[in-house]
Amino acid sequence: MHQAESPATVASRHENAVTISARDVTKEFGGVKALKGVSVDFYAGEVHALVGENGAGKSTFLGTLAGRVSPTTGSLTAFGHMITGANPRASRAAGIVAIYQELTMIPARTACENVFLGQFPTRLGIVDHSKMRARFEVLCQKFGVHMDADARTDTLSIADQQLLEIMRAYESAAKAVLFDEPTASLGESERARLLDIIRQMKANGTTIAFVSHHLDEVLAVSDRITVFRDGSVVASRPTSAWTKQQIVTEMLGSELKSTLQQRPLRPTQMPRDLLKVSDIAVAGLLYPASFVIRAGEVLGIAGLVGSGRTSLLRALAGLEPATGRLEIDEVEKPAPRTPRAARALGIALIPEDRKGQGLVLSRSSACNVILGDMPSIARFRILREPVIMKAASAAVVNYGFNLNRLSAPARTLSGGNQQKLMLGRWHHARPRVLLADEPTRGIDIGAKTEILAALRKAALEEGLAVVIVSSELEELLVVSDRILIMRDGHMVDTLDCHSDDVDVERILHSAFAVHAASLHTEHA
Amino acid sequence: MKNPSSAAPGRPSTGNGAASLSRFARKIPFDVSSLGMIGALIVVMIVGQIIYPAFLTWTNIGIILTQNAPLGIVAVGMTFVMISGGFDLSVGAIYAFAATMFAKIAMDHGLVEAGLCTLLLGIVCGTANGAVVALWRINPFIATLGSASIFSGLAFVYSNSTPQTPDNPNFQILGQAFWGPLPIAVWLLFVTVLLGGFVLSKTVYGQALYAIGGNETAARLSGLRVGLIRGSTFALVGLLSAAAGMIEASRLAVGQADIGGTIPLDAIAVVIIGGTSLLGGEGSIWRTVVGLLILGAITNLFYSLAVDSNVQLVAKGAIVIGAVGLDVWSRRRR
Repeated sequence: MHQAESPATVASRHENAVTISARDVTKEFGGVKALKGVSVDFYAGEVHALVGENGAGKSTFLGTLAGRVSPTTGSLTAFGHMITGANPRASRAAGIVAIYQELTMIPARTACENVFLGQFPTRLGIVDHSKMRARFEVLCQKFGVHMDADARTDTLSIADQQLLEIMRAYESAAKAVLFDEPTASLGESERARLLDIIRQMKANGTTIAFVSHHLDEVLAVSDRITVFRDGSVVASRPTSAWTKQQIVTEMLGSELKSTLQQRPLRPTQMPRDLLKVSDIAVAGLLYPASFVIRAGEVLGIAGLVGSGRTSLLRALAGLEPATGRLEIDEVEKPAPRTPRAARALGIALIPEDRKGQGLVLSRSSACNVILGDMPSIARFRILREPVIMKAASAAVVNYGFNLNRLSAPARTLSGGNQQKLMLGRWHHARPRVLLADEPTRGIDIGAKTEILAALRKAALEEGLAVVIVSSELEELLVVSDRILIMRDGHMVDTLDCHSDDVDVERILHSAFAVHAASLHTEHA
Repeated sequence: MKNPSSAAPGRPSTGNGAASLSRFARKIPFDVSSLGMIGALIVVMIVGQIIYPAFLTWTNIGIILTQNAPLGIVAVGMTFVMISGGFDLSVGAIYAFAATMFAKIAMDHGLVEAGLCTLLLGIVCGTANGAVVALWRINPFIATLGSASIFSGLAFVYSNSTPQTPDNPNFQILGQAFWGPLPIAVWLLFVTVLLGGFVLSKTVYGQALYAIGGNETAARLSGLRVGLIRGSTFALVGLLSAAAGMIEASRLAVGQADIGGTIPLDAIAVVIIGGTSLLGGEGSIWRTVVGLLILGAITNLFYSLAVDSNVQLVAKGAIVIGAVGLDVWSRRRR
């Protein structure tokens, strides 16, 4: 990277050398073929995007390059080295660094120490802190950010931590960087910044592999797009030869009948106010906000990471020491301080981190569904197996969940099916207000549509008030009746999605105080 | 619910055949991957029978059960604690304290009063553990390491460091008398196992324990009283440890504060050998029963072969570490 071969060759792709080459790579997991003979070439100074639905094999393929997954057959070469077996150190030695959605920061160390982890600049064997700090400042300048070198890493936002992760890769002079869903947890402006950094790395001659569900982003940043479907490569072309619709078509294998093309219908009845929120606030994170949530309505919340949108949701769910009052059915209560208090008010949360905070992965799907309300199906506190199965089936059947999987541990399900379990849990427990934090994160396109439609249906047909926080503005726009906008801990605006002049640009302009144009520069 | 059919994901997804297959799979009370420990038990029994011909006789099996009844009762409680993600090192101290108190009160008062007071002691000690863990959020390992020292110290102070030997002949009924073909202590073990298994697999409380041990945040977000439920498992294991201590005092006809030293390690070993996860959220009572039988059989063989008791300690420690290693290894593979 610093010692990148020759940035001049960037101009023409065909003069670039093949740096990483995969030939006929297959991978079987207990008889299931996750990869069926994949051959892909990566070039120096090129951003190569890998797209496909969940389970298409792109992450497994990335794993073979990173040395996390050992291929069953086939060969991998990187910078002249053979990569064999699951050996992350060998891949690292060949010059490959992988950056995953899950961060590998040590929370209690400083930003600076995390960047230089394992490669501390030393003087006579002693860590040279002033040199380290100087190099950190250089990195910050290069990336165009300001960050406190001595801040404990766990006090930084996820976006900043991810940036540190990338700085670490940069500092280690990686010749190839593999990004697996790097933007999933980032807000719009952080995404734009990350894409700029990727462009910069590319200009230095770094080989970049990029896995993302976010097709606009893929089109904006990549030079070549390879589509995976069912463990095979189905198409690989320069980005200029792709349109978004073509990519989706290849991913799904057939034309996507998008149910998300239209705006939501205005509810037929005048919705009544269900929950009145007055001056809800969290010290340091959320300034007093007041708004109303109506029965049968989907309320979207948009904002940057760190804008207070998640704090607002957490405050409603009883996860923050919030102040303020809630009024449900004309009874006023203080803001909940525990999830249990929130549940007593009829408020339930689908957390962003399904695996970490939503599901008990070791337990069966059925057990996960009934977890939201067990006493109601118990007799004398005793739960009978058939009763559990019946209640769980009833809760998930409408979400297209395969009922034969109800006995399977939640761990074995795909992201989309896991999210359906969360929906099922609250369908079973019947709250009044359903909060969903990034409900479509990390879920493939087909299931995304289903999840959004299910949330919409919960509002319209069951009269729930649904509140959704999402970074995917287009999704938010098609699923919400109103969108509440947060910036720097303040509630700054409320937009009515049924009016004609509300679109992504309008939200961006209003919410992020930036022009949308800056985001999609290369793509348009 | 139990943990039905790890074979589920591979099943065909449609049709009546699949449905009846899944009904069948659900009837198997454990998942196939856990058969390993049953295999280990069978191996131990076969090897035992070969090197010690009297091993699989009713008399010897009766001895194994009788000797391990108190340990088994503690292990049932420990299973509850560990499934909810906790750990209790103070069970040995409560056990010894209870033995001492049961014997000392029985010297001056009736056996019923002595028994009730002792069980109450177990609940109080366990509740104290639970409160410290749940309210102060102290790591259960440290909390019960500390409380073990407290309980043990109190037991010595209470008994003035002298063995308590009640002369009431009925004192030995609990630990030595038979009811039908088996000692009362073994019947108590059976009742504890059956009740424990039922509560864990068939009740709201049991489901909540698995959820809390498997994912505390998910359980909290679902509205469960995480602290209260987790704390209650410590009260339960306290109660069962006290009952086990009473049985032991009655069996030995003496209550003294220096017994029970190996109870915490043995109880945890039994639970882990059975395959209940050290991390919580997985496990069951029948696994603990298998673990108890394995450890009981091995100990029995050691004694019958006159293996030095210090060598036994070494072997037991190695078995525990091996079992945990197996748990970690199998977890990494999936």
